[in-house]
Amino acid sequence: MAWAYSEKTKQLFMDAVHGKPGTHLGEIENPDGLGEHGSLVCGDALRFTFRVRRDEDDPRRDVITEARYLTFGCTSAIAASEALCTIIEEGGFTPIQALKIRNEDIVEFLEGLPSQKIHCSVMGAEALEAAVFNWAQRRGVDLEREGVTLHAKDEDEGRIVCQCFSVSEPYLRRKIRELNLRTIPEITAAVKAGGACQSCHHAPGGLQDLLDETWGPADGGPAAGAGEGTAEAGAEEPLSMFQLIKRIEGVVEREVRPQLQADGGDLEVVDIKEGPIVYCRLVGACAGCPGASTTLKLMVEQVLKDRVHERTRVIAV
Amino acid sequence: MGGIIYLDNNATTAVAPEVAEAMAPYLGERYFNPSSMYAPAGAVAGAVKEARAAVAALIGADAEGEIFFTSGATESNNWAIQGAARARPERRRLITTSVEHPAVREVMREMARLGWTVDELPVDRAGRLDVAAFVRALRPDTLLVSIMHANNETGVLFPVAELARIAKETDPGILVHTDATQSVGKLPVDLAGEFRHVDLLSCSGHKLHGPKGIGALFIRRGTPLRPLLLGGHQERGRRGGTENVPHIVGLGAAARLAAAHLGEAAQIAARRDRLEKAVLERIPWVEVNGAGAERLPNTLNLACHCIEGESILAQLDAQGICASSGSACTSGSLDPSHVLKAMHVPFTALHGSVRFSLSRLTTDAEIGRVIDVFPRIVEALRRLSPYWDVAAATPRFDAIGADGPTPA
Repeated sequence: MAWAYSEKTKQLFMDAVHGKPGTHLGEIENPDGLGEHGSLVCGDALRFTFRVRRDEDDPRRDVITEARYLTFGCTSAIAASEALCTIIEEGGFTPIQALKIRNEDIVEFLEGLPSQKIHCSVMGAEALEAAVFNWAQRRGVDLEREGVTLHAKDEDEGRIVCQCFSVSEPYLRRKIRELNLRTIPEITAAVKAGGACQSCHHAPGGLQDLLDETWGPADGGPAAGAGEGTAEAGAEEPLSMFQLIKRIEGVVEREVRPQLQADGGDLEVVDIKEGPIVYCRLVGACAGCPGASTTLKLMVEQVLKDRVHERTRVIAV
Repeated sequence: MGGIIYLDNNATTAVAPEVAEAMAPYLGERYFNPSSMYAPAGAVAGAVKEARAAVAALIGADAEGEIFFTSGATESNNWAIQGAARARPERRRLITTSVEHPAVREVMREMARLGWTVDELPVDRAGRLDVAAFVRALRPDTLLVSIMHANNETGVLFPVAELARIAKETDPGILVHTDATQSVGKLPVDLAGEFRHVDLLSCSGHKLHGPKGIGALFIRRGTPLRPLLLGGHQERGRRGGTENVPHIVGLGAAARLAAAHLGEAAQIAARRDRLEKAVLERIPWVEVNGAGAERLPNTLNLACHCIEGESILAQLDAQGICASSGSACTSGSLDPSHVLKAMHVPFTALHGSVRFSLSRLTTDAEIGRVIDVFPRIVEALRRLSPYWDVAAATPRFDAIGADGPTPA
């Protein structure tokens, strides 16, 4: 599917891949802030680093001078990373000011993103937050006292709601409020949760429950789960089947395999079913023999018909 | 379309000029309804008959009574599965694989929701089926086996003829369907010979240089199958709706061309193999998905570790090269290819698949150009990747974690 990317998105992606001067690909050595978001399993991930011009008196007045990223992901993930670094560098922000950059700012910079790609911009905002947290630790800044609430810390320990993309409950609760997410498809578009196996959609404590708890229950109950048929145990009669298999195995061991082994071949029984039907294959010297299927039919089947049951059938597999 | 290199022939193929030419009169002066009574309509009915004969000849079927035109392989697959279920309501089990095209997979899932039991057979790392698992799945109340002939993503071939024989020898009442959309026109398919145990076979026009929106379902004579589309006597009362004459004629022309060009499979395979060899030589940490299995001659599906397929496609596109990917980002969903997941492609490469699919129109020069361009694209994207160590030319195992793969 060709995505309807804006010209700006496509241009940033191309510039980044070709390492055009002024782009922000890379990783700062000994950075002042480092943050990561996403994972290889999810299909996209971002490692974000920045350097500051240090303020000797007050680390809170450090100004970000340089931002770099390494991104594993699609066109929009790479373009969003590029956008994030550009916005930060152009803004001359302190790390705490940089926290005000929202995923909406990134989307706006990119002149829009397809709705299924919004999570690419969220990833950038999350990596930035992690990097600022990292900076604060390095520089001894107490972010909480600066009026900044950081989410990453406790969210790491929350219950995982979406197993496919490892998305935790605290993170989801926050994003549902922050991004005003009202439906499961909106959650999936924004943070990917629920986008793969979908088993968390209507599970207890799942996405619908989180939505209901945040916004109040919507009209109508949750959709009934789509039950898929499962294989139930076969209805064979164990006793007779057991005796049958014992007899077939006995005959194969005593009368069939010795004959074949004398010719350098052998017989492998793959399965036995009611009928009885014996599924088997010739191996060894007999395997490629043009007469293999005739051997199975005439010799093996006949022996089993005589010794086990006249209705025995042999099928080559 | 000067300048583009089209290597996405498993998605669709270029309409052959002969096909377009054959169709043109039926979009113009030969517009008559083939069911009408006057002479000009009779001539149109004759053209439909000729097209049916051409499709039948390509796959070894009987033209009058075994070839039914549909809107494409999706309809054919829906008809085969749902039509069989309606004809044999007492049988409640279906057997399929975990790597079918959605046109079978989604129908099977719907059947499961409606109460049928569906056995989905797994595949191994190379995409192959386990025959013993297939045998285990055969039950007294098995209704239908639906197993694709060639996989659209990897090109891996299933031994459908052999599986059909095993099913029929077990119980002649089990119906066998195969989605042969990707193999018809690329490989010989003989329903009177090797495939004589297959009851139902789906194929499509636009995969063999024919038009889109037309396909066929082969229904072996005597096969119990209810219609899917009611509302007309057309197609022997089994598929209602006025015949799509221009497209049917186009499918017929495409089938004749495909039969004439079947001998070129070895040349196509040689070009594919050249590309495969060059890529494996020039790029570290790339694997062929389906290596070790029998494959279509035209398909090469590559797993590139530590980069993402959609960005590879975007870079190829910028060089005028059309390919596709099983990456999550190329589809509307967030989930990467179910086929590659079923094959247990390592997570470091699951999102980095690229499929090149050739046709008889692909040239040596085009392959040479891809060999030139593709390694540089992979290298450039790996420079951006947080999971790739540029200096060592390996994945960054520290960033990937302990579950990372070992070198191929």
